[in-house]
Amino acid sequence: MSSDDPGSLDARLQELVARAKTGELGPPVRDPVNVPMINHWCDAIGDLNPVYTDREAAANSVHGGIVAPPTMLQAWSMPGLKGRGPALPKDQRATPAAAAAGPNPMRLLQEAGYTSVVATDCEQDYMRYLRPGDTIRVSAELESVSGEKKTGLGTGYFVTNKSTYYDQHGEVVAEMRFRTLWFKPPMQSKT
Amino acid sequence: MNALPETLQYEAVEVGQALPELVIDLTPTVIVSTAIASRDYQDVHHDRDLAQQRGSKDIFMNILTSNGFVGRFVTDWAGPNSIVKRVAIRLGAPNYPYDKMTLTGEVKSKEIVDGEGIIELTVRGANRLGDHVKGTVRLSLPRNS
Repeated sequence: MSSDDPGSLDARLQELVARAKTGELGPPVRDPVNVPMINHWCDAIGDLNPVYTDREAAANSVHGGIVAPPTMLQAWSMPGLKGRGPALPKDQRATPAAAAAGPNPMRLLQEAGYTSVVATDCEQDYMRYLRPGDTIRVSAELESVSGEKKTGLGTGYFVTNKSTYYDQHGEVVAEMRFRTLWFKPPMQSKT
Repeated sequence: MNALPETLQYEAVEVGQALPELVIDLTPTVIVSTAIASRDYQDVHHDRDLAQQRGSKDIFMNILTSNGFVGRFVTDWAGPNSIVKRVAIRLGAPNYPYDKMTLTGEVKSKEIVDGEGIIELTVRGANRLGDHVKGTVRLSLPRNS
């Protein structure tokens, strides 16, 4: 596959974006929202907000009990070290592992030499704070792939995914837009 | 009974008000422990050899953690009864170990929405390479009733 013709690469990317399955609800994530993971997160971030870690203080707060830090959202749905997280359809996940399961835009980008990936943007809206015991499911869609862009890291494409987080009652608890840049490592793009 | 620290009231917040600075010492332990606490096992966040093979100068902070520090920065200031409604961030310079990230912020607007006191903040986290993160946060504050 040649990457000499960015015009045709763009066209093939857009065709694959249009064909990607959208909005399919994944299975429940591996573990419910839980206190040990909240505690580890707060230790690492140094977050002393007592509504996350102090049962009594949290009971006296607007939340009426322990809640998870809202920015911890993605931690609940990460695949983890052994990939035992929720299995989203492969064409919706902007990760190198998912790209391997092509045909999808991410695989096409990798084959065209855009082999490095970094996260660049994240927008999260929280409808409510999560509580221990909540069980999360995520529906994800590949929203868009940009045209070729020159960036500080190299030439690349921005891939935007949208995820909707549901609780055990089927209510939307959060929405997220997540953008990754797929770029040619600088050594390669000089050739 | 454990007392709850004070929370800022919507009425007490002024547009243009600056948040107190928060400096994060970016030790390797911070970079690695936050990546693992967010269950992000990408090698570039914990394995320096592999990070360097991939063209990075060292391991670097993952985006989930940048979100976490932005959230902490804002609620450290606003207090435990503030409610984060939205966080939108863009990443720039990587957070490498042995640097510091200084978080600063400012109140951009305030508005009553459906009876709720909502403020919008801009947040920036800078290290010695430049801006690691820039973003906005929407926060609900208790009202003086």
